[in-house]
Amino acid sequence: MAPAAAANLGYTPPDGGWGWAVVFGAFICIGFSYAFPKSLTIYFKAIQEYFSVSYSEIAWVSSIMLAAMYAGGPVSSILVNRYGSRPVVMLGGLMVGIAMVTASFGKSIMHIYLCNNAVPTGFGLAFNLQPALTIIGTYFHVKRPLANGLAMTGSPVFLSTLAPLNQFLLDSFGWRGSFLILGSFTLNCCVAGALMRPVHKQIKPKPNAEPPKSNGPAHEKAATEDTHAQSAGLLAEQEQSRSSRSQGCASKFVDWSLFRHRGFMIYLVGNVIMFFGFFAPVVFLAPYAKHQGIDEYSAAFLLSILALVDMFVRPGTGLIANTKWIRPRIQYFFSLAVAYNGVCHLLCPLVPGYVGLVLYAVFFGVAFGMVSSLLFEVLMDLVGAHRFSTAVGLCTIIECGPVLLGPPISGALVDIYGDYKYMYYACGVMMLVPGIFFLIMHYYNYKKLDEEERKRQSEAMRMRSGLSVRVEGEEEHVKMSQVDETADEADG
Amino acid sequence: MECTWTGNQNKLPNITGYWKKDGNEIDSRLTVPLENEQYNLKGVFDIVGEESLGNYSCVFGSEAKIEFVLAAPQMGEVRDKPIVSYAGDSVVIACKMEEPKPKPSTWHWYKANGTDKALIDAAAEPHRYQIHSEGGKSTLTVRNLTQADAGFYYCGAVYLISTSLGRLEVRVITFLEPLKPFIAIVVEVLVLVAVILLYERKSKKKSITGSQKTKKEKRENSGGEESSSVRQRKV
Repeated sequence: MAPAAAANLGYTPPDGGWGWAVVFGAFICIGFSYAFPKSLTIYFKAIQEYFSVSYSEIAWVSSIMLAAMYAGGPVSSILVNRYGSRPVVMLGGLMVGIAMVTASFGKSIMHIYLCNNAVPTGFGLAFNLQPALTIIGTYFHVKRPLANGLAMTGSPVFLSTLAPLNQFLLDSFGWRGSFLILGSFTLNCCVAGALMRPVHKQIKPKPNAEPPKSNGPAHEKAATEDTHAQSAGLLAEQEQSRSSRSQGCASKFVDWSLFRHRGFMIYLVGNVIMFFGFFAPVVFLAPYAKHQGIDEYSAAFLLSILALVDMFVRPGTGLIANTKWIRPRIQYFFSLAVAYNGVCHLLCPLVPGYVGLVLYAVFFGVAFGMVSSLLFEVLMDLVGAHRFSTAVGLCTIIECGPVLLGPPISGALVDIYGDYKYMYYACGVMMLVPGIFFLIMHYYNYKKLDEEERKRQSEAMRMRSGLSVRVEGEEEHVKMSQVDETADEADG
Repeated sequence: MECTWTGNQNKLPNITGYWKKDGNEIDSRLTVPLENEQYNLKGVFDIVGEESLGNYSCVFGSEAKIEFVLAAPQMGEVRDKPIVSYAGDSVVIACKMEEPKPKPSTWHWYKANGTDKALIDAAAEPHRYQIHSEGGKSTLTVRNLTQADAGFYYCGAVYLISTSLGRLEVRVITFLEPLKPFIAIVVEVLVLVAVILLYERKSKKKSITGSQKTKKEKRENSGGEESSSVRQRKV
């Protein structure tokens, strides 16, 4: 799996150096994208009182923002494909900043809807998320799982910091002043964008040119990889130019060919089911605790435990996924993580009491962190860095449905049965089934990929020998091509 | 109100029992007989007005005392942190008497004036104050805030027996206050962005002065990342 993807890039990613600065930038962007909508809920009560609206009207703000963020995915992908990560991220940061500042002057709840949702904030956050994930794929290949894990850690870190910060801002400046200051705070995404320098591509050198610019440690790797990837590279170049020509028009908007990509479809189908049960347990952890009679602060503390565990598990998972034992079969690792989530939820109702909940929070934190850390890494692994941008755009807009519907459906389950355990069972099943689905499908997929890889390598070797013969003479060339044809037929 | 006491070690056949209100004895002392291993003292009090509210206690001899607090329904959670709003803007403060507690007959709002409370008359100043009361909830809207409007406000849930008070604090600040951190952060962002981009320009120049100068320029001139030989998507 790994060698094929490297050849497809057409250049050798730095895997370090400035890449780590880019990871830091991505950390900031991802942190804002995920944590910002959730942390804004702290202001809802104040805004609700100020405009004298009901709670359900306010809750729309959150849902619409999240929906806009997911819907903005494809738009973001198109822009990234066209202009690169840096301008898109800086634009996104500006959009969110201006939206928040305008909202701080809002005179009615409609202003808050318009300024805080749809195009401005939601899209702005989408313009942060996609490019951040994409650029990691361009800077890293060997250390990519680690880089992804580190970048995804932004989400729990920002959530833990933004929540108390927002509370402090609300108490000091009221909601208007807080929105103003948050607007400037989100401009830091522009700083993150500035860090996202477009990667210098060491184009596969034509006869014996030295690789032009390289970052330190990658130099040696580049030299060795170049030489023995030459043959595979040539073939890959041909394939690439073929595929990129066909993608010419379609890639302007949506890359429909992705829907024929086996790995992508497995990922998509599994994820759609998974997201129904992914976020709901987090949302309902505190209410479940309160329902069991635990006081509000201890219930909130459970979420802090979750976030803390999550914070450490994400880079840890990235590190583990990077090891030579896991990396080639990373899809299995992901499937196990998803299934583990399911098992956690199924077992949760069996351990009542605060201690049980703390244990659950710890185990769930591990599960949640593992899946989050690998979520985009496995997609990159499946479709490769080139199509990742479009792929993730498609994924987010399709996953928009389950993500938004998941918590309300779970809430409905709680209301119907009056007990949280059915909701946990349901979530457990909704995570376990995709986990098993992934395991089976990826076993099949890996087999197919190995077959294709073997075919490709044998063709490459034949091409190489065909080329060297071409240098010698015409007749030989004819003979070789005949051999090629027969060999092709044999391969079928 | 009724008090029951199981007595102590020496179960006297009779014991004196009496009622106290706010520490003062009321009514006459009674002799309470021991019945079924218990002493029972019952008192019936008419609630006539606010004076009837207070701390009641029933006392058995000099040994046992049980306290009752008779009061109007108290408001649950009233926000104890100040509500921050801006000069020229309006503020909405609310008080609520939650569900199981009885709803007051009406609501009054007061502004603290030193140690005094001044009743807010919304009808007299409709452009400044607006009170909206509905059953168990009442909101006061103060418009065109000035510094003078800052301070403590009291909401009173009026019952026949008495009025239950809740206290809220309003702070009025100008827009300059959040503007300071806002500008500070914007400046920080601009500085960082400039530093990062300048550093990048410098390091590019450094590598350009190498032997690959022409190659670099060619590549950069062709619009950055798209080279002619291999068509790749720019990321």
